[in-house]
Amino acid sequence: MTATTARRTGAPRRPAGARRANRREAVAGLLFILPTLVIFAVFKFLPIGGAGAMSLTEYRLNGDVTFLGAENYTRLFSDPHFWQSLGVTLGYVCIFVPLIIAVSLVGALLLNKLVRYNGVFRALLFVPYLSSFVLAGIIWTWIFAIDGPLNAALETVGLGPVLFLSGEQWLVLASLAMVSVWKGFGYSMLIFLAGLKAQPAEVHEAARIDGANAWKGFWHVTFPLLKPVLFFVLVIETIIGFQVFDTIYVMTAGGPARASYSLIYFLFDEGFKYFDFGYAAAIGIVLFVIVLVLSLVQRRFFEGKEEL
Amino acid sequence: MSTTALPQTRRAGEPTSGNPRPGQVPGRNGARRRPAKRRQTGLLILLIVVSLFTVAPLIAVVVLALSPENAPTLPYAIPTELTLDNLIRILNVGEFTTWLTNSFLYSVISVVVILFTASMAAYALARKRFPGRNIILWSIVATLMVPMQATLIPMFIMVAGWGGVNTLWGLILPTLANAQAVFLIRQFVRDLPDELFDAARIDGAGEWRTFVSIVLPLIKPVLATLAIFVFLWHWNDLLWPLVVGQSDEARTLTVGLATLNTETVSTANIMSAALISFIPCLVIFLFLQRHIVASITSSGVKG
Repeated sequence: MTATTARRTGAPRRPAGARRANRREAVAGLLFILPTLVIFAVFKFLPIGGAGAMSLTEYRLNGDVTFLGAENYTRLFSDPHFWQSLGVTLGYVCIFVPLIIAVSLVGALLLNKLVRYNGVFRALLFVPYLSSFVLAGIIWTWIFAIDGPLNAALETVGLGPVLFLSGEQWLVLASLAMVSVWKGFGYSMLIFLAGLKAQPAEVHEAARIDGANAWKGFWHVTFPLLKPVLFFVLVIETIIGFQVFDTIYVMTAGGPARASYSLIYFLFDEGFKYFDFGYAAAIGIVLFVIVLVLSLVQRRFFEGKEEL
Repeated sequence: MSTTALPQTRRAGEPTSGNPRPGQVPGRNGARRRPAKRRQTGLLILLIVVSLFTVAPLIAVVVLALSPENAPTLPYAIPTELTLDNLIRILNVGEFTTWLTNSFLYSVISVVVILFTASMAAYALARKRFPGRNIILWSIVATLMVPMQATLIPMFIMVAGWGGVNTLWGLILPTLANAQAVFLIRQFVRDLPDELFDAARIDGAGEWRTFVSIVLPLIKPVLATLAIFVFLWHWNDLLWPLVVGQSDEARTLTVGLATLNTETVSTANIMSAALISFIPCLVIFLFLQRHIVASITSSGVKG
């Protein structure tokens, strides 16, 4: 900023040279941005426009395109599978989001209070984040299996086999959420930890001197100060929750009986099983609208903080 | 374990909270030290419990991968001997090594190209004045709000139309548009001191020289961070590689793993494959842990 204003005030003195310098700078800037601009134009801007356009057509595998107008959307809104997948996704989000926030917040609070071995435990708690959802899905398929360790442990206390991945819908969704929490909470935990470390020590000291116990100190001091971070994590994890696919693909394939048939699984099926590309693109637009609304809500609350 | 940990922390918490009586100030330090120590023990026990939750599944993978086939193993028995046979066998399956190679090419090429092009773009966006700069910046940042799945179908149609299905370039090219990388590097370049660039200009360094020998060395920390994340994103990616790599030879390791799990493959084989897929991520983490933690806590790289 300062450099540009300095250059501008210097301009009237040597108009011809300055203009030449400005033009050279503009050319250099354009050349430097060119590769990225081309990549974004072809692989971001074009597909984004294409998604909207395709959702208004019937687009078949052989390249036949018929313009439908809003027909894909009216079909979507009267498709029981769409509402079912939306319901499944919402149910999943309602279990996943509170769970991952609770686990990552507890992890951050524990790490924040710990004096020694901090690095070791931070690494141990973070390590599942390095795995893929596929790897997490493979591990937890084994853990949740009828002859797996979890059921073996339940058996020793006299509880019958629990069908974590093929039983009741809420249990299947909760099991899937559990896997994503295991894989993903390390990231939110570190954000919470940064938020906690940023809190001024004096405030906590003051609360302690005023006689606040650990719980009161958390509820009346730590928690209110953490609210902006909490909101940020809430939105991010909700967006991640709405995109659930990998674990379902690996662990349940949408079953049993569509009990875990999420929005993206629906999109994937319509696109790559039934090759109904226009319809699948319309499902993608619905997801985009959901994520956009969540992002705008976040932006509204964080106005001014995220300056460019 | 958790039942013993809970009361202990609570007991440790109470004396401290009941303590701050005004008259007690001189003795306070001594009186507080012991409960604080017990509280630390309680914390340690709780953290060990949480660590079991995070690490035990990974240890199970290692044990299952190293258990001899047909010998009793987890969850019913702890294997008496471990062997590398499963890993060696799976590394000799041609299909598997193809997946492994594809994953490496997909991840490493993406890291190199994204970091290089994004650095160039970031330099232009942060340091150069040219027409349309703000519009370009905002359109790149705005793509962060569009989930990848929303553009999956048109992207596939495009790449398929160009004959990119089952090819390496079809896999890699569309993932090179990484707005997060451009955005983060730009923040970093913008915060470099102006004097550096003035000095370079006075010394007669051209634009390319300035970029290569001043900008690139100075933004190494943010490049290291991004290298880790871009590698992990690509190495662990499922949906795009699944859609674009349909033949056996075009799969990445993550896609291969996902398909193995739905087929009837022995636990030892799946877990060996899973273990091999996890090792590169773990190695990177062990070497560059510092960068990961620092970057999440300071700039909030989205995972």
